[in-house]
Amino acid sequence: MPEVLLRIDRLEAVVDRLPVLHGIDLELGEGEFLALMGPNGSGKTTLLRCIAGLEWPSAGRIVLAGRDVTDLPANRRGISLLLSEAALFPNRTVLENVAYAPLVQRRSEAEAREIAAEALAAVRLEGFEGRPGYALSMGERQRVALARAIAARPRVILLDEPFAAIDPEVRGELRGDFRRALASRGISSIHVTHDREEGLFLGDRVAVMLEGRIRSLGSPAELLADPRSAAVARFLGFNVLPEGGGVVAVDPADTEFVDAAPDRFSAQMLAAGTVGRESVGIARGESGERIEARAALDHPWPAAGSTIGVRWTRTRRVASE
Amino acid sequence: MGIARERVARPRLGEAGLLIPILLFVLLFALVPVALLFGGGWVNGGGAVGLYDTVWREATNRASLYNSLEQGALSALVAFGVGYPAGIFLARYAFPGRTAARSFLLLPFLLPTVVVVVGILDLFGPGGTISSAVPTLAWFGEGVPGIVLANLVFNVPLVVLYTALGCESASGDLEETSRTLGASPARVYRDVWAGPSLIGAAVGVVLTFVFAALAFASPLMICGPRCYTLEAQVYALSSTFLEPTAASLLALAAVLILLVPIVVYVLLASRLRERGSRGPIRPQKLSRSGWIGPAFAIEASLVFAGIAIVLFTVLARSLWPAPGGAFGAGWSDLVSSRTTATLGIPIGNVIVNTFGFAVFAAAATFVLVLLAAFALRHRPRWEGSVSTYLFLPLLVSPVLLAFSLAEFWRPLLGGESTVWVLIGVSQAILALPFALQSVQVPLSGLSTAPSEAAQSLGASRWTAFWDADIPRIRNGIVTAGLFAFAIGLGEFTATYFLYTPPFTTLSVAVYTLQRERFSDATAGAAALLLVVSLAVFAIVLGMGRSRERAHA
Repeated sequence: MPEVLLRIDRLEAVVDRLPVLHGIDLELGEGEFLALMGPNGSGKTTLLRCIAGLEWPSAGRIVLAGRDVTDLPANRRGISLLLSEAALFPNRTVLENVAYAPLVQRRSEAEAREIAAEALAAVRLEGFEGRPGYALSMGERQRVALARAIAARPRVILLDEPFAAIDPEVRGELRGDFRRALASRGISSIHVTHDREEGLFLGDRVAVMLEGRIRSLGSPAELLADPRSAAVARFLGFNVLPEGGGVVAVDPADTEFVDAAPDRFSAQMLAAGTVGRESVGIARGESGERIEARAALDHPWPAAGSTIGVRWTRTRRVASE
Repeated sequence: MGIARERVARPRLGEAGLLIPILLFVLLFALVPVALLFGGGWVNGGGAVGLYDTVWREATNRASLYNSLEQGALSALVAFGVGYPAGIFLARYAFPGRTAARSFLLLPFLLPTVVVVVGILDLFGPGGTISSAVPTLAWFGEGVPGIVLANLVFNVPLVVLYTALGCESASGDLEETSRTLGASPARVYRDVWAGPSLIGAAVGVVLTFVFAALAFASPLMICGPRCYTLEAQVYALSSTFLEPTAASLLALAAVLILLVPIVVYVLLASRLRERGSRGPIRPQKLSRSGWIGPAFAIEASLVFAGIAIVLFTVLARSLWPAPGGAFGAGWSDLVSSRTTATLGIPIGNVIVNTFGFAVFAAAATFVLVLLAAFALRHRPRWEGSVSTYLFLPLLVSPVLLAFSLAEFWRPLLGGESTVWVLIGVSQAILALPFALQSVQVPLSGLSTAPSEAAQSLGASRWTAFWDADIPRIRNGIVTAGLFAFAIGLGEFTATYFLYTPPFTTLSVAVYTLQRERFSDATAGAAALLLVVSLAVFAIVLGMGRSRERAHA
């Protein structure tokens, strides 16, 4: 891992009298892109808001470049935040929006314009300078929001589900552009998402957060090779099945639905359909667990409602909850 | 072979016919009488020249115009100064009892004006609790300062609530993003939420100006003729000096003059509505807000305490009327023969009248609003124009309404025994715009899916409305009726204009007893009116809460 830029020590937070974060420890390296994944309500956004200075932790420390910023207000941290709503100034042009931070930092107007133009070029929005914010598409707005964050010259940019409101086709293009724009400037980022494909695609490292705790942390390959716990495995899309007195994580591609037999793990077939370029079958195990199998498009699935056997090939041992 | 085609069921015009009762009601009991009054005044008074002469040449009328502008401007200015910080505090800071504080601010909307004026006099008037202890503060119990103070009790909550609404219409996301881009709190205020909060405050300020410029009870009870507003002067011209032509021309002048602030209000309010709520503002914790949060907290607490003290004084005075007086004299004096002789009827009859008119207003409003809701549900495209029409009575002040009803309807109905109809109708007309709003708000956000599902299962439009829509707007309709009831309970201006002794209501009794300097009985009557109003307020609040729970 590169040199540590941001360190979070035993961070705890309480929102509306409910404990949301439970002793979070996390490090972010210089120029690193960390994807923070987890289901809704797992505390990802609260963690991001604490780092940004918009929420106050009840315990723990946030250290940025060796300086404790835990009690510093948001405007003095040097950490920019990008939300799913671009939140542009509605009555200002694209250039004025992007030049906002340099002007707040008391740079001259000419300098602010120069910084803004450079940031707009980084997100491929040259020629949009004079347009009002309301005349942009959702994707363009998010690009302006990123340019505005970059123009603030922050040490860290926090992205809170920035593509959540974007069409799937545009989303793919934006992911690549965002990643490139941040990497080329060496800006460290934490990208919050509940979309596991997005997190695994973007992150140099990926942290999985469940119920206010970071339950798994590593590169996407490490995480997929060893999900560590049943809960993380489930979040990553694995089937969690019993084996040898414990549980194992099984990729749906390594799972097969076959005829029921006394020595086989049995389940009830629920439904089958096409997802992307594959055919997906879904069944329910005896203890109520959801089991997914993937196969070629022309795969013949058992009839819905029938009792089936489940067979799997490759497994990863995980700790049960 | 041809296939028989079923006729597609389209919305029928017949349903829109249910709007006719409410449209006719407003037309016959507000718009036509007022138009005829103005027309008569214009013709008999000599047209534009007569209007100019009446308003400008006649010294007392000119003075009433000055008074209206002076009292309106002063009240608006002070209401802004006092209400703006409290509104910011309410919207932007987290503190225990925040929801309750917000609800408390709705109370003055339902408070009878005479009760508040009695409270101000109890505190600052001759022998008042505060003026006795600190004589220099007696300044607030007389003349323009006293009137402005009474106006503030009603109108500061307006400015507070509208400022809070304005703050909440600013984008929480934009604010947080600006902060992380390095903007200081002052810069965030300037760039993100100063504009919306000031638009909200401006709505409240303009309303304050209009209400204060048309105040009736406060100039009448605190100061007398030298402080009369246009509203009070119209009353004096028509009822005391028996000059209906001059009164109608002055009333016309008042409408024309106040048209400007009312148009400004409509424009600002629609701008505020268009903004809506743009992402939740997360209230800040006081402990993290430096010195400015506690400063706002202290200011807001003073506002709440001020309103509470006025109301508490009214209740306290009814129990301990004067130093050395007997406990409960305010209440016992209500049933004395002296009080009965002064009012012309026993207090029991006064209470019956008060409730009778309030029930009449509530029932009429309830039925009209229910029919209008059904019709608008099936003719949503008409909502804009129908709403505009039904909100026209807001332009008609209570004195003008009562004056025009008396001029147009009294000769037709004949005799003083029918006065009760006009009192009930005037109260219903005054309540109608507010009642309609409490139904329109839940109706506008109501999904059509349950009603359409019911119709697809074979229910008629009316049955579908009754089974699928009414349960979801039930609280709005009941609140509308309760609003009308509460407004009827405390209505003073129009009732005072129209009443004859057998139809005395509690608010009229409070004024009559205060004028005759029966201080104990005044305190008792004011306290009784306050207690009933508080009870209705509590029910309205409970309805609102259960509606919120239902939505959650």
